Amino acid sequence: MFSIDSRSRMAIYEQLVQNIIGLIARGVLQPDDQLPSVRNLARDLGINPNTVQKAYQELEAKGMIYQAAGRGSFIAPGESLTDSIVQQKLKEARPPILSAKRAGVPRERMLALVDEIYEKE
Amino acid sequence: MVLIESITKHFGVNTALDSVSLTVSPGCIYGLVGTNGSGKSTLLRLISGVYSADGGQVTVDGEPVFENPEQKQKIFFVSDDLFFPPQATVDDMRQFYRAAYPRWDEARYQRLLELFPIGDRRKLSSFSKGMRRQAALILALSCAPEYLLLDEAFDGLDPVIRHAVRRIISDMISEYHMTVIISSHNLRELEDFCDRVGLLHHGRLLLECAVDDIQLGFCKVQAVFNPRPSEKIALGGIRILSQELHGSVATLICAAGEEDALAAVNALSPMLAEAVSLTLEEVFIYEMEAVGYDYSKIVF
Repeated sequence: MFSIDSRSRMAIYEQLVQNIIGLIARGVLQPDDQLPSVRNLARDLGINPNTVQKAYQELEAKGMIYQAAGRGSFIAPGESLTDSIVQQKLKEARPPILSAKRAGVPRERMLALVDEIYEKE
Repeated sequence: MVLIESITKHFGVNTALDSVSLTVSPGCIYGLVGTNGSGKSTLLRLISGVYSADGGQVTVDGEPVFENPEQKQKIFFVSDDLFFPPQATVDDMRQFYRAAYPRWDEARYQRLLELFPIGDRRKLSSFSKGMRRQAALILALSCAPEYLLLDEAFDGLDPVIRHAVRRIISDMISEYHMTVIISSHNLRELEDFCDRVGLLHHGRLLLECAVDDIQLGFCKVQAVFNPRPSEKIALGGIRILSQELHGSVATLICAAGEEDALAAVNALSPMLAEAVSLTLEEVFIYEMEAVGYDYSKIVF
């Protein structure tokens, strides 16, 4: 479920953050689901525990997870989650749109595609 | 905590380390990188108390290490050049280290021996290079040191064993805040594993930062200018490590985050500019070029 791409330019903690947001967005992780402990996740991936800690701290700061003293980390319920997922999806959509723009795809054609997807799919 | 204060070490007329200062916090993984002969191994030998410094001092938890057996019991140094007594087996070495390290963990040793099936009755001299490394790491981890110093210790291990060793080290850090200092030329691996890195060159510390700051502190900007710039590009306030111009495309390596660098380049009104973050390997190469350690022009 959790994986690291050692060829990516993205920092490991950032990869973990994106990984977990992606799992929430796809409904694999539901509100109040428990995340693996820092120790177990770091050991399983063979990475630095401080890196996992940093990823969890960042997710907590974004309001996507909460920590219960002595019990571990859990997926947060609520609005902030939906908003974060929207932001995440928009961020993912950006690079292909940017590349289309640079290749000279006119704005109207791009908007037409967006309309088509939203109306038909 | 390992505290290194303006340490200097000479070998004859050679200066191996020239007033190097750095701090390694407990529970952290510190990566030492550098060119061949830059002083990485010398620094590790000074921390582990194999050498005494000619200037400055090294302390571990506030105490000097050189000729201080009490401090040395906390530290395990896996040298790049392993030495085992002739005829010795892994079991002989177990008895040796068990006597020297009071925190010796027999249960861990037995588990590691099962995990790495190298056998404890065979002579170490009959082992391959990789197996000798495995034996050294089994012994090192079984000593449960507070400070584990690894001098290119992953080199020569197969990918499966490497991953297993990383997992065990990770678990020991979680378990009791073991501190790890590791030198390696495998920058990709260090980048993923370390909290901080120090870059040595000719006995000096060129760069010292948190691994995450590399992404915030360096980037590569590619920009298209029309007309093409007639002279070298300067970005006020931002250090440019290297720049290349191919036709109208300029490639700039900047010591700044993506946003700042891009803003500075955009102020020169290019037709197009984009920034990507740099890997540790790229930072290493560009920093080295900047101090004249540059082999990029070589063509055979």
